[in-house]
Amino acid sequence: MDLRDFKILICDDSMFARKNLSMFLASLGIGNIYEAADGEESVAKYQEFKPDLVFMDIVMPKLTGIDALRQIIESDPAAKVVMASSVGTQNHLKQAIMLGAYDFVQKPVDKEQVKKIIEHLAGQK
Amino acid sequence: MFAQFFGAFLLNKQLVTPEALARAIDEKKNTRMRLGVLAINAGLMTAEQVEHVNVAQQTVDKRFGDLCVEFGYLTQDNVDTLLSESPSDYLLLGQTLVNDNSLTNAQFEDAIKEYKELYQLTDDDISGYQNDKLLGLVKEFYHFNTAENARIYTDYITLLFKNIIRFIGDDFTPQQSTVVKSAEADYVVQQSIVGKYKADVCICAGKSEYVSIAERFSSDVFENSPEFIDAAVGEFLNVINGLFVVNESNESGTELTLEPQVISVNKEIPLESEGFCIPVTFSFGEVVFIVSVH
Repeated sequence: MDLRDFKILICDDSMFARKNLSMFLASLGIGNIYEAADGEESVAKYQEFKPDLVFMDIVMPKLTGIDALRQIIESDPAAKVVMASSVGTQNHLKQAIMLGAYDFVQKPVDKEQVKKIIEHLAGQK
Repeated sequence: MFAQFFGAFLLNKQLVTPEALARAIDEKKNTRMRLGVLAINAGLMTAEQVEHVNVAQQTVDKRFGDLCVEFGYLTQDNVDTLLSESPSDYLLLGQTLVNDNSLTNAQFEDAIKEYKELYQLTDDDISGYQNDKLLGLVKEFYHFNTAENARIYTDYITLLFKNIIRFIGDDFTPQQSTVVKSAEADYVVQQSIVGKYKADVCICAGKSEYVSIAERFSSDVFENSPEFIDAAVGEFLNVINGLFVVNESNESGTELTLEPQVISVNKEIPLESEGFCIPVTFSFGEVVFIVSVH
């Protein structure tokens, strides 16, 4: 799949974290990047844009990333949600896996790791 | 200290399936460490040597450790030391995955080596001078609070300084710490670590130092707007606290989480409990870190 057609949703309450990741994704040639600043907005934007990949923070206002993941997977079991969080502890990791997260990236986000995840996914489409 | 949870590393590397990892996280409480995995982790034996001893043990009725000594792989001192140390939680996870055949000894050996190389923030990062200052600070924690809190303070402050070096730079000197009951500055960014215990952490700075921290942390994506600067300093604190909770989870299985950060401008913020106030002088000015464990 051409990365220009790829749609990625970044969910993070930190404007810095969103900008940091979106600039990197743009540099990879990702054509469609959407942003959400809390859990509720993440679920709504997922339904609206049906992205190929989601990066989801965990500690967020309104709805946590774990709850947003649950709602997204309930509505679309094939959703590809990568948790990108500072709190990569075993409980959070286990919860995310059980709910169907695709991968888990510890903050500060390792850009090479993000690139690998996207390349892997793009290769499958 | 690690920059990622070992289980997440194994998952990222696709060395284990998500299902096997989730199962191992649950089951590791019943796992007993074996000398072979401990010796591989300590870099004292290779997976091949461990397999050799395993095979030999099938034909001779001898303990694993005794055979290691007999083959010259370990000394008796090595065996005693390895068995006397209480294992880190991430090793129990590794052992659980080896036990259920999700990982071979050889895969574990490669993984643990790469994990440590990639993610262990070593003491070498801190210069001799900074280290002396740091040890001085850490010593004071033992005159305050309980021994467990002193351990938490020590681990937190050590991780804090390593990450200041990693994200902001090494052009700083930590100053004498004091005990405070509130935080006050032009800008105070506060975040609570909650779970088995609670820790409140604040970054306090004047306007220009606040901008400097944001600028250094965000480097090439920096944007000179108040919203961006708040978000960058907030994320700097969030990343440090996140690494702290990951280390607690990785080392001792203690589960903690974080609350969203609160940013206050020109206010005095009362602390729930007394905290250590550590002023740090950077080349661009002074920034104060406050840590309160209770």
